[in-house]
Amino acid sequence: MNEKTIKVYKDLMGANAEWAQKTRDLLKKKKVVMLNLIGSPGSGKTVLLERLAKDCSDSLSFSVLEGDVETTKDAERLQKLDILASQLLTGGACHLEAKLVHYALKDLPLDELDIVFVENVGNLVCPAEFDIGEEAKIAVLSVTEGEEKPSKYPLLFNEASAVVLTKTDLLPHLNYKIGVCMEAIKDVNGSIPVFQVDALNGNGVEQWHEWIKERVRAC
Amino acid sequence: MHEFSICQSLVDMALNEIKKIEPAPVRVIKVIVVIGGLRQIILEQLQFAYDVLIKDTIAEGSVLEVEYIPVCGKCKECGWEGFLEVPVMLCVECGEASVDITSGKELYLKQVEIDE
Repeated sequence: MNEKTIKVYKDLMGANAEWAQKTRDLLKKKKVVMLNLIGSPGSGKTVLLERLAKDCSDSLSFSVLEGDVETTKDAERLQKLDILASQLLTGGACHLEAKLVHYALKDLPLDELDIVFVENVGNLVCPAEFDIGEEAKIAVLSVTEGEEKPSKYPLLFNEASAVVLTKTDLLPHLNYKIGVCMEAIKDVNGSIPVFQVDALNGNGVEQWHEWIKERVRAC
Repeated sequence: MHEFSICQSLVDMALNEIKKIEPAPVRVIKVIVVIGGLRQIILEQLQFAYDVLIKDTIAEGSVLEVEYIPVCGKCKECGWEGFLEVPVMLCVECGEASVDITSGKELYLKQVEIDE
């Protein structure tokens, strides 16, 4: 028998990348911004969107694709605030992939929207690996998670275009050093803005909301 | 856990490449995949997924070999080029946060070795 080598050199994310590109083309045509929110379970991603709905519903038209393993609870929370939200259930998978997001996106009234938020499955590892056609990844990190997370999960923070540091209202109760976290973010990605917010009570969210609106204006 | 999904792409791609060969090969000896240091892939999980996914295919019993690519960068400020000590991605020379990643995000099927 003869041994033979077949050279391939093909990207393993190729199929996912094709779907992500289809999504980018669609978003460009419809002039819609898509942001991919990635953070741990309980980091405050849904509260962040609820705050945006309360403060900016007159100036921003947005929808949400909610990624979770099970239940429609998050989509229902947003629907209570008159936000059109679709729940994407992965049934166990730890991240959203581009094809699923593409089909869900096509069901949204894109002509009426400025922006679509994808709230990825709560996880700092796997969602960072999968391009879903978003304009930007946003890392959502709460102050209860410890200061070193950016060093522990460098791919996400390196790929993110902004960090939202949530639950700052809890700082008086914690031994949390914001400076250490800021240094860790700078080490993995020196150029990104960090927004410190208390979305539950609406403190410090203005700059974050302004950053979103700037993205929409530039689209 | 994303290793399973990635490995599915790997096995599908390798089997697809083999389908193009005539006459059909007897067996697959080895599959070589290239993984950059920034990719969060647990090799044990990748291997486990591989063993499951190649079962009852022409690739059953083949070896999965991983080639690792270190994380490298180039500084936009001072021009330094070299290895980065992840998670720190600051310039090793001037300390600025102005390093472009030049390698470390690779994830591709490099080659398949077969018995004709």
